[in-house]
Amino acid sequence: MHSKWRLIQSGTSYTLKGVVLLIFIFPFLWMIMTALKTFPETMVFPPRLLPAMPQWSNFVTAMQSGPFVTYTINSVIVTVSIIILQMVIMIPAAYAFAKYKFKGQPLLFALVLLAFMIPGQVTFIPVYLMLADWGIIHTLLPQILPFAANAFGIFLLRQYFMQVPTEIIESARLDNASEFKIMLKIMVPMSVPALATIGLFSFVSHWNDYFWPLVMTDSMNVRPLTIGIAMLRETEGISNWNIIMAGNVVLVLPILLAYLFSSKQIVKAFVYSGIK
Amino acid sequence: MKKSVVGSMLVMVMLLGLVMGCSTNNNQPANDQPAAGASGGEGKTGKTKIQFWHSMGGNNGEYIDKMIKAYNESQDNVEVVGTFQGSYQETLTKLQQAVPANTAPDISMLERAFVPLLAEAEVLADFYPLLESTGMSEEDFLPGLLENVKFNGQLNALPFNRSTPLLHINKTLLDEKNLKVPATWDELEAVANALVVKENGEFKRYGYSMPYASWYPIAMIQQLKGAFFHAEGTGMGFDEEGVQTFEFLKKMQSTGALYYPPAQDSGNIVNSMFASGQIGMMMESTGVIGRHAGVVDFDYVTAYLPMKDQYSSPTGGANLVMFESSKNKEAAWDFMNWVFNDPKGGQQFILDSGYVPFTKKMAESAEMKAQWEKVPARKVAYEQLEHALDTNNDAAFAAVDQIFLKATEAIMYDNADIRSTLDSFKKEAEKLMQE
Repeated sequence: MHSKWRLIQSGTSYTLKGVVLLIFIFPFLWMIMTALKTFPETMVFPPRLLPAMPQWSNFVTAMQSGPFVTYTINSVIVTVSIIILQMVIMIPAAYAFAKYKFKGQPLLFALVLLAFMIPGQVTFIPVYLMLADWGIIHTLLPQILPFAANAFGIFLLRQYFMQVPTEIIESARLDNASEFKIMLKIMVPMSVPALATIGLFSFVSHWNDYFWPLVMTDSMNVRPLTIGIAMLRETEGISNWNIIMAGNVVLVLPILLAYLFSSKQIVKAFVYSGIK
Repeated sequence: MKKSVVGSMLVMVMLLGLVMGCSTNNNQPANDQPAAGASGGEGKTGKTKIQFWHSMGGNNGEYIDKMIKAYNESQDNVEVVGTFQGSYQETLTKLQQAVPANTAPDISMLERAFVPLLAEAEVLADFYPLLESTGMSEEDFLPGLLENVKFNGQLNALPFNRSTPLLHINKTLLDEKNLKVPATWDELEAVANALVVKENGEFKRYGYSMPYASWYPIAMIQQLKGAFFHAEGTGMGFDEEGVQTFEFLKKMQSTGALYYPPAQDSGNIVNSMFASGQIGMMMESTGVIGRHAGVVDFDYVTAYLPMKDQYSSPTGGANLVMFESSKNKEAAWDFMNWVFNDPKGGQQFILDSGYVPFTKKMAESAEMKAQWEKVPARKVAYEQLEHALDTNNDAAFAAVDQIFLKATEAIMYDNADIRSTLDSFKKEAEKLMQE
């Protein structure tokens, strides 16, 4: 009886997991399959999943339709610079909010949370006017500087740092360790899963960002991959969805790779916070 | 410890250096960069640099790049830098932020309905003196495309990539049932109903369709001799015409004669269904002719939009505008003048892209006539311009359009009462127009 019940339980569990997996995988599968279709195949209704003959040349067409090397270099520079700057600003800020008591701390932390809640669409015009006034609108900096501080990251890392016992910090201080050393040698190594999570979220959101680079840049030379891909789409009429999807496959590949490398740390971050 | 800190600092300095270095590009010549805070300027090659913003992606983006390249190679004084700025709406947003920041381009593509917004802000240059300087006049352009370009005695925009809705027909389906191409609303209803195939309570084929956009109901309102905005700009220009339009559409929808698509990606859905023979006819832009002519496996033809009280079709697409802030108007005009007159300019772009010709010279050219011979569907679009009429010429159109679409959704998807929905829309729209 027990073994029958267990069989039903595991059967249901696998079926549900399979359904959830399909829901998440299907858009990716659809993207890859469309990338391998001919144009007439993308127009068939009702749509078919599999192409009659995979069209690998769609990837070549997509990549040759613009300066994709420049777009890729720009995307890498912007995303990597943002992540490094965020780490440099976020770690000391989170450490201070978690382990220091100072005047105005709640107010300052509330201001950080407030920044977290304001969408970019609200601030882009004043930010653009300010950056245009500085004369840097034709550089990569308008895509980097406004994201140097990550309010969500400061919040998440602060929560993580708060769980590190104060006794460890105090004993390090007794051993004459500087605050900088405590931060780098104690807090950071203990928070790698949280930093990996924040890093990945930041990577995904800035690698995929379309709106901000579009409004902040006026020249193709400083534009990222997302705009290059958007250019494959027709403004009016019917688009070559097979070519657009080939471009999208190239766009999401680094995200999938980044997730593969950091997935263990992300799971750890969630498990750790769950246990605590 | 010290070593790692120093190492980290070095990495940071290198990265920032990389960022600053890339601030003046990697793969392109440095003189491609426009001067910050200026429209164009003089490049290192001594050529006057002109910034041209456009909204053309995909194949049309390639055709526009080809046109710009041909101009740049045709002379040694001016260099045009074309930059894609997103969809029409996104280009407008960018222009609205660039004008106060003094980073506006010299020339831009601007969706025809957005021209009044910038013209009323008095940021657009007047083309009358420029046309005169090269012996041109507004008479050189097709009159049906000059509906929305004159403000306060100035000519603020000139047509470029313009389109118009047409009736696209799967003639093979009509022939199978001995049906004639419909020319009136009544004929359209009869033919669309005759094309419906319903099996086991499910529609296998619909007679007629159109994408989700205000363009199409506006065409119908005009065919009833109504107008979207009142000619004096005092309010909405339709009453019973709007009610009749939506009553006609709902009646057709109820029998499967009309398939009204979901809002998201409606253009692709309607066109895919048409190409697969699941829709017999559709009201769609001239822009899709190239996607069906010679591609679909049925006899594909186009016709005028069916008439009610009159033939009428709005126009779409975009115009070219020049900014008053441009420091190089003469050079910018040199490019535009070439676009309007050189066979390798706008004419080649029109031949490649399938938009309607916009100058009389272009329409009369041997190349255009040869193309019409090959693809007669394109000629219908040009001929229908005789009935072109734009009644959505108001600075408030972008905002009013949004609420008109909401009213359309309520009627077409949720079966809301037509009269009361349109009444509330009109009240809200007129408030927006007065703001």
